[in-house]
Amino acid sequence: MSPPDMTAIPANPPRRALPLHRELDRVWRNGPGLWGQVTSVSHTTLGLRFMATAFVFFGIGGLLSMLIRAQLATPNSAFLDTALYNQIFTMHGSIMMFLFAIPMLEGLAMYLLPKMLGTRDLAFPRLSALGYWCYLLGGSILITALLAGVAPADGWFMYTPLSGKTYSPGINADVWLLGVTFVEISALAAAIELMVSILRLRAPGMTLTQMPLFAWYILGTAAMMLAGFPPLILGSVLLEMERAFGWPFFDPERGGDPLLWQHLFWLFGHPEVYIIFLPAAGVLSTVIPVLCRTKIVGYGAIVAAILGMVFLSFGLWVHHMFTVGIPHLALAFFSAASMLVAVPTAVQIFAWIGTMWRGRPELKLPMLYILGFFFTFVMGGLTGVMLAVVPFNWQAHDTAFVTAHLHYVLIGGFVFPMLAGVAWWMPLMSGRRRIKGLGEAAFWLILIGFHGTFFLMHLTGLMGMPRRIPTYADNPEWMGLNLSSSFFGFVMTIGFALFAIDLILQAGFGKRSVRDPWQAPSLDWAMALPPPNYNFASLPGVELQQAGAAGAMLKLARGEGFLPGAPRGRREILVTSVGAARPQHVALLPFNTALPLVLALAICAFVLLMLAGFYAVAPVALIPVVGLIWAWARRAVAAVDAAPVEIAPGQFLPVHPEGGATLTQSGLTGLLFANGTFLASLLFGLAFISLVSPGPPRPVWHADGTVLLAAAAVVALLAAGALGARWALARVEAARPAGAVLIGAVIVNLLALAGLAALAFWLPAPTRHAGDAVRAALVAYVGLHIAIATLFSAFALDQARRGELTPASPGALRNWGLWQRYTLAAAALAMAALWAQEAGA
Amino acid sequence: MRRVGGMVWLAWLIAGPTAWAAAFSVAYGLHGLGCELGWPALSLGPVSLQRVAIALPSLAAILLCLVLLARVSTALGPEAGIPRLGLWIGLVATLYTMAPVLVATSC
Ligand code: HEM
Ligand SMILES: [Cu+2]
Repeated sequence: MSPPDMTAIPANPPRRALPLHRELDRVWRNGPGLWGQVTSVSHTTLGLRFMATAFVFFGIGGLLSMLIRAQLATPNSAFLDTALYNQIFTMHGSIMMFLFAIPMLEGLAMYLLPKMLGTRDLAFPRLSALGYWCYLLGGSILITALLAGVAPADGWFMYTPLSGKTYSPGINADVWLLGVTFVEISALAAAIELMVSILRLRAPGMTLTQMPLFAWYILGTAAMMLAGFPPLILGSVLLEMERAFGWPFFDPERGGDPLLWQHLFWLFGHPEVYIIFLPAAGVLSTVIPVLCRTKIVGYGAIVAAILGMVFLSFGLWVHHMFTVGIPHLALAFFSAASMLVAVPTAVQIFAWIGTMWRGRPELKLPMLYILGFFFTFVMGGLTGVMLAVVPFNWQAHDTAFVTAHLHYVLIGGFVFPMLAGVAWWMPLMSGRRRIKGLGEAAFWLILIGFHGTFFLMHLTGLMGMPRRIPTYADNPEWMGLNLSSSFFGFVMTIGFALFAIDLILQAGFGKRSVRDPWQAPSLDWAMALPPPNYNFASLPGVELQQAGAAGAMLKLARGEGFLPGAPRGRREILVTSVGAARPQHVALLPFNTALPLVLALAICAFVLLMLAGFYAVAPVALIPVVGLIWAWARRAVAAVDAAPVEIAPGQFLPVHPEGGATLTQSGLTGLLFANGTFLASLLFGLAFISLVSPGPPRPVWHADGTVLLAAAAVVALLAAGALGARWALARVEAARPAGAVLIGAVIVNLLALAGLAALAFWLPAPTRHAGDAVRAALVAYVGLHIAIATLFSAFALDQARRGELTPASPGALRNWGLWQRYTLAAAALAMAALWAQEAGA
Repeated sequence: MRRVGGMVWLAWLIAGPTAWAAAFSVAYGLHGLGCELGWPALSLGPVSLQRVAIALPSLAAILLCLVLLARVSTALGPEAGIPRLGLWIGLVATLYTMAPVLVATSC
């Protein structure tokens, strides 16, 4: 069947909207009561819940900042002692970054994207739920530690050696490393599914260059998250290994280097700033044109600016390390890139100003926050330029000036746009109108409070006040400014509280909002308020996409778009091609399930065992994790009735893709990309420790023939495994049995695992030297991948046994093949790196 | 995008910045390696081996961007606009961030 041509498809005939709604609602809605919330996989429910939870964490982080400001109000306050103060500012920073900002943008994107793209849910609904539970559980671990007085206390960037075992002997640092890594599962999950949804679930005919700009921003954000989080996760894993098992990655006495931590952290940390900024900019680019009654200026230039920011922001991380003694030429590279990234940011800002210039800005509440953004962010940009100048940086480094700068950027560039977005989409989320006046009052309190607090901190910083100090008894002249700063901090807090009250009042008591209250052009408003879980009773074609929310709403509700209703009792959506969004097939999404929660709990058990130091039993906790993932894959909806589906009169689409990739395949590709950055960061670590690290050289060790043989055997066996995957697929596609090939593949993988174990056995102990430790880490990485490949092949074998592999739908074969090839490539690279390490020594 | 597939278009879109990223990482890596192995002391004609090693990947990236810029219109037709901007980003970013190779002291 050739893909249908969009223009030729006749619309479905109109039907009565209410029965259509009932039919869809029965299939898509959450279960009743609390259990229904627990089992929900709906992007609407989970998006809202992500945002609500993020606001709660914002409240906790805000409370901590009030404690900080109370402490700093006077020079010699006995309110918090140093140890507690350290915990409090560390937790404030970590909560705001990892438990507020990132989850907030994930929630907003999850909630909005399917609505803007004209589809019914995200590509992997169970993954949304898994991400949420990992976030909630990981966040709870951190908060519990805070209440128990064992919170991390080494600053939000956890520099070694301070965060090493010698200087942080308690479990405080482990809480950070394990807890934050646990939470980051949700970031990776969100990144993968947002990316796949943007590329494959857009409404028919919505080309990439016609999709709403917000989707471009989130595409950029998701790509950055896939490349940015792996270095952080790697750094955390390595540091945890050092703390738990004494592998000396960062210990200079045994050849490690604390700078490696700084590199890995900032390789994540700077892109993180843009990961936070891009979605905020997406909100601005969505809201500004509508409130100015015009179109955005320079769609193409903005997409290019996003592209520039996504890439360039990975070339700046060293500017956080200007004071550590990096060679001049390298400094110059990073300094140049730091200045260059200002260009796309400026393009952005000029596009917004141009848009406001062209239109007629209306001073509604979201616009107030947008103006607050402009004012604040531009000032933050200016102090940023000051800090980018290396000599000034040397002066202001680690003073309150930096604290002021980073809050201008984070609150100006993220919090204000998010508040604008919340004010904008509140009618959609709650279905109700705002109570006039409260929101405006909150805005002014926040704005005045913010600038009062942080402008003064520039000055204390220039007077020389270091950041992260609880008292300043020798400098009583700093008190006046600090006291005022604290006063305004409380003003700002009152403002945030008022904002929250406003939201609660609106959701509980506001008048019902009319549909599409802002007369917006985009599809997110072309639905009932608050939106039903299925979003659209039928999916919009090109004509309805361009009709504006008001023009499309009724027709969509009456089933005049594609794939109306849920007549087969399944959750059906359209999968379209990446570029032109030609419909390719109908995908069946999973029903509500508690599996994500159970899996998250199993992972949590592992994390808690590690935290408690039960390293010997912790791996046992991985068995249920593996079992649950297996069950997860088994329960992926297998279409019993795989008959083609009629999406419009006379137009049929298959339930399995013919030729094109499945959604899962696209998702796995994204995962492998993130995985590849993880491996690249590990190889970077290996090179760094071998070449740059100043410590004592690694004691010589002569790789003998056995080791070489084992390494070669592992790679050869994996190559056989990859060929086996190909062969099995070819046989299944030719409708011939593949069981024997699959049994062979499982055995080959097991042998490769054994070969690797032998290799590991011969290597010197990882505790001996950092060089030995990275090598062991690399071997462990390969081992993990072979183990997963083994499970993958066993899964395919199981499917063959059950007769589930058919030419139309070859089960897990394609995905397994992808994994097997990646494992082969990774193993070959790792072995080559080990060889180079030996040859260099 | 009507003429070429979406993935092909996306590949064109990121080609320029990817070339920059590759040149940047390779240059940074070679810089570290060269400092370790004493390349700045080895001269290759008028300049040191170090500078040549660092400059070569950038030159390759610049050439690649230029070649692709010359072809992008024929390859993508009406959809060439944004990918062309992407190639310019790659070109300018490489020129700008790698310019210090010509002047700054190396290690
Ligand atoms: C609600 C208003 C806020 C106030 C009054 C506030 C206040 C402060 C203060 C006084 C410090 C310096 C602590 C010290 O160096 O001794 C600080 C640090 C920090 N804040 Fe905030 N903050 C607020 C909101 C935020 C937000 C929204 C974010 C991020 C999205 C954020 C991120 C950070 C970070 C990353 C640090 C550095 C922590 C460290 O040094 O490890 N803050 N904050
Ligand atoms: Cu930075």
